[in-house]
Amino acid sequence: MLRASLRQVSAALKEGRVTPTELCQRCLALIRSTKFLNAYITVAEETALKQAEEAEERYKRGQPLSILDGIPIAVKDNFNTAGIETTCASNMLKGYISPYNATVVQKLLDQGAVLLGKTNLDEFAMGSGSTDGVFGPVRNPWSYSRQYKEKSVPKSHSEDKEFNWVITGGSSGGSAAAVSSFTCFAALGSDTGGSTRNPAAHCGVVGLKPTYGLISRHGLIPLVNSMDVPGILTRSVDDAAVLLGSLAGHDPKDSTTVQDNFKPFELPNLTDVSKLSIGIPKEYNAPGLSSEILALWSKAADLFKNAGAKVVEVSLPHTHYSIVCYHVLCTAEVASNMARFDGLEYGHRSDAKESTESMYAATRREGFNDVVRGRILSGNYFLLKQNYEKYFVKAQKVRRLIANDFVKVFRSGVDILLTPTTLSDAAPYMEFIQEDNRTRSAQDDILTQAANMAGLPAINVPTALSERGLPVGLQFIGRSFQEKQLLTVAKWFEKQVQFPMIQLEEVKRHDNDVFHHQKSASFS
Amino acid sequence: MLLTLLWRATFPSMQVTVSQRIHNLLCHLLSPWVPVVGLEIHAQISSNSKLFSGSQVQFAAPPNSLVSFFDASLPGTLPVLNRRCVEAAVMTGLALKCSINKKSLFDRKHYFYADLPAGYQITQQRVPIAVNGSLSYSLCMDSKMSQMVTKIVRIKQIQLEQDSGKSLHDDTRSQTLVDLNRAGVGLMEVVMEPDMCCGEEAAAAVRELQLILQTLGSSQAVMAEGQLRVDANVSVHRPGEPYGVRTEVKNINSLRFLAKAVDYEIRRQIEELENGGTILNETRAFDSRLGCTVPMRDKEGKQDYRFMPEPNLPPLILYDAKSLPANMNHQQVINIDWIHERLPDLPSVKREKLVEQYGILPEHSFTLLNEDGLAEFFESVVKQTQMKPKKVIGWILNDLLSYLKQYSLTVKESPVSSFLLADLLNLLEKKEISSTAAKQVLAELWKGEGKTPLEIVKEQKLELLQDQKELEQICQAVIDERENEVMAIKAGNRKVLNKLIGLVQRKTQGRSNPVLVKQLLEKKLSE
Amino acid sequence: MRALSLGRWLRAWRVPPLPERWHSTLPPQQKVSVEVLDHLEHLALVDFRDSEGVERLQKAIQFADQLHEVNTDGVEPMDSVLEDRCLYLREDDVTEGNCTKELLENAREKVEEYFVAPPGNIPLPKLEERDSFLQGS
Repeated sequence: MLRASLRQVSAALKEGRVTPTELCQRCLALIRSTKFLNAYITVAEETALKQAEEAEERYKRGQPLSILDGIPIAVKDNFNTAGIETTCASNMLKGYISPYNATVVQKLLDQGAVLLGKTNLDEFAMGSGSTDGVFGPVRNPWSYSRQYKEKSVPKSHSEDKEFNWVITGGSSGGSAAAVSSFTCFAALGSDTGGSTRNPAAHCGVVGLKPTYGLISRHGLIPLVNSMDVPGILTRSVDDAAVLLGSLAGHDPKDSTTVQDNFKPFELPNLTDVSKLSIGIPKEYNAPGLSSEILALWSKAADLFKNAGAKVVEVSLPHTHYSIVCYHVLCTAEVASNMARFDGLEYGHRSDAKESTESMYAATRREGFNDVVRGRILSGNYFLLKQNYEKYFVKAQKVRRLIANDFVKVFRSGVDILLTPTTLSDAAPYMEFIQEDNRTRSAQDDILTQAANMAGLPAINVPTALSERGLPVGLQFIGRSFQEKQLLTVAKWFEKQVQFPMIQLEEVKRHDNDVFHHQKSASFS
Repeated sequence: MLLTLLWRATFPSMQVTVSQRIHNLLCHLLSPWVPVVGLEIHAQISSNSKLFSGSQVQFAAPPNSLVSFFDASLPGTLPVLNRRCVEAAVMTGLALKCSINKKSLFDRKHYFYADLPAGYQITQQRVPIAVNGSLSYSLCMDSKMSQMVTKIVRIKQIQLEQDSGKSLHDDTRSQTLVDLNRAGVGLMEVVMEPDMCCGEEAAAAVRELQLILQTLGSSQAVMAEGQLRVDANVSVHRPGEPYGVRTEVKNINSLRFLAKAVDYEIRRQIEELENGGTILNETRAFDSRLGCTVPMRDKEGKQDYRFMPEPNLPPLILYDAKSLPANMNHQQVINIDWIHERLPDLPSVKREKLVEQYGILPEHSFTLLNEDGLAEFFESVVKQTQMKPKKVIGWILNDLLSYLKQYSLTVKESPVSSFLLADLLNLLEKKEISSTAAKQVLAELWKGEGKTPLEIVKEQKLELLQDQKELEQICQAVIDERENEVMAIKAGNRKVLNKLIGLVQRKTQGRSNPVLVKQLLEKKLSE
Repeated sequence: MRALSLGRWLRAWRVPPLPERWHSTLPPQQKVSVEVLDHLEHLALVDFRDSEGVERLQKAIQFADQLHEVNTDGVEPMDSVLEDRCLYLREDDVTEGNCTKELLENAREKVEEYFVAPPGNIPLPKLEERDSFLQGS
């Protein structure tokens, strides 16, 4: 049952084949036995069970609030949750209990979702590995999968498991791991430069980045206000559509949500792709792209072509500047957004008492890790009067060029772009931490970053397993506010590739139902 | 004084701005220094809720009770713009003859301070809501308010921005208490170009702005309650040379202190430069006790606010009749023309109307508008009395106003209502009492004991003597008694007649009409 | 496994390997002066803990310099992808506030109903007097 899709489990709840409390308890038990993944920072057992009980009452009366009623969900720990600690994996907010719910959290709760807990991330969502938070790194569940173990060569019997575990990617690694390991049916992440799609690819789950302005950011602790969006992580494209339907729409509390009316949609089962035009941006054959992924990408293009779609090579010439551009704009916004953390109204506060400034300085030194502090200093440098035009405004101009690249391509008749999501499969943790955070982010974000610059919707669909037995995903990028088209195509693709289900011992133990064994022979 | 006459004689009909500049120049011919004064005025917007959040705007309230999550900068909260604040800024911009920018933007201004929870203020640095306007104000050239000169100061821009909270320094316990009730309240910053040259001009310009804001209702603009704060930028230079280094003067709590602070700073700078010193580009605070400006503790090194566009607020778009979108929710639309049509009469227009309608002097119209409610009081009295407005004004400005000032009362608090005053003036007009008697009655009315003028007149026996015969007799009696004076008058000394009139007045206990008495005496003396 | 080739979708578009690409082709830039570093520490109220911190900034600037390779003549800066949308206006109603207790709950230090800060806004001491890494520079 834990491995079912959202729709399937919702139907099961409605039919009474399983109760919300049973479901919740199983998920909580699985969280406990997969604790070594370190996917969760806070597990809200009591409140979750209470929510499950209330959902149960509603199902008994035959009055569920929505399709999400009673369904266990996890939320990245940079979303405000009233009464439940929100830390952003930082010392600055350890112990911080927000008095309000983020709009997206409130919407989920209003529809009856059961909030299991807050998931782990890179500190303040800065990073692409979910390794730089104060609660330690998140481990990719696939590290413990039969598929990975079969492919990896153990060095010795005892040390291999620990040594070879791979990262989840980031920064929404906790959410991706939570979904991937079946502890919840969906999770909220955030996506600023690929933070939802990147871990989704590494953990073999669907990661959706909606159009900027579609879903409310009220209550999402910001990294880059002009690029952040709440991200959706699920095990199927259809599930992502369900979540999207319950979250999207204008929020008067967020002035960057569009006021257009949003209508939730059902995804059609696309059979005929002949009217589709798929663009393959050549610049996404980026430096460092593994030959494996390159081949997979090529095969996917073939898949569409053979099914009758028009597949064309296109060019997004400013792609390789998106990282530099992002670097300047992101650090500048970070410098600004982090200015509020001074210990006076909330959060960590240092004991320094000589003056307000010295207290602020000490609080920030004690509360932020090196990555955050480094970005604050760089960002302030770019915002200095003498540097503003040269760096910040220049980056804003380059941003427009990047956004225009997409406009031109979409105007030329292309409906959807198909690209890789990551440069390679998940790296082993020990290898990953050799490089510093900024360099890593710079490398890993190259394929996902531009969509944030342009505000476009993008989705990672798990495609196949790599030679090492780890997931690899491919990315689809769509037109602004055309999530329906994007998800429809993604759903078709998902059906074609039949990505294998992860085989985890722990899950087997908790889930006694006969589960649908996905045929793993199709795509590799 | 001489200068004014010279100026008026030479340039009677030129455009005000040109003659104003010439006036300034003539002023400066007498001094080797040209003072230059510009102002930055922060006016708190009169609205129910704050600029970017729904917490209440109120002057006095328990600490931190009018603070929302956004005001306290709780992470994840976002600004949402208050429509009313935009309307207030548009009204003010139109009243100050500015161009309203149909698209304006918001920016973040970064600095750390205990009363600025987010570490930045949201303001409009790149493209403010209104630019390039002007304000006309008047100065009286002498203390009797008998000669007024109109001046113009250019308005550089008006921008919307957030107010900060309040820090209360508790030096005994070595701590600062922070109250965020005021944090996030909407402000309009009005920037006046350095077209002024002294404290008096600065104060007059701010006074006029205050009246305009109060008339529009966009700000209550009471300086004492912090709803209007003024910072002055002052510099001096020699004629013909470029502008000197300027200082910023803060902590000015009233119009009187504004004039004092500016004048002091001008003098200080002149003295400094004449002694061979230099002026630092610094911020100074006005010390009202000592009447001087002192340097404020400046930040270490230069301040750099690192302005950045506010990413959570898309551009603010305003419309006019031509650009009005067809099918947009009208609650989301602000139509500049619609607002323009509904602007109330500004003080300058009101004054003109008063002068035109009632035939009073321009100086009088200034005093009427300067006192809250006085113009309405005046008009009310005029309606209820046959006395000509030109005469009524004297009673309002000389008598009523001086009583109000003496007892520190506002017009609203006056124990003498317009009805009572009109009643009294009617008695005077009908010649039932003399003007001296009227003043006596007014003094009695001021006690507020609820008596009518007529009752007081009867009580104190102040009626004018109506019986002509009796009056004649008394006149005759005085003439008979005062042989010497009579002879002097007959010899040609007309002034002595006043003495006789006075004596008649005394005999009648002030109840004789002096005009009539004069006539009677003259008639008798010429016989 | 099939032979991995670029396939007909991706014509031979060769990009130099990773290490070379990320190093700027611009001449090596000036080191950031201690004055500017000190200025930054003051403005940001965050300090460069050690030489690594300073190096990090140096690298960040060098990285950002690549922007200058792009020709942006005639291009308008982009604040946000929503630049063509207009700002939502809220009605002037009192809908928030009156939550003193909730706000103060998260403050580590408070006095009655006030937030409390150390005395005044005394600026950070000068570089020479401060315990900053930069002192040695």
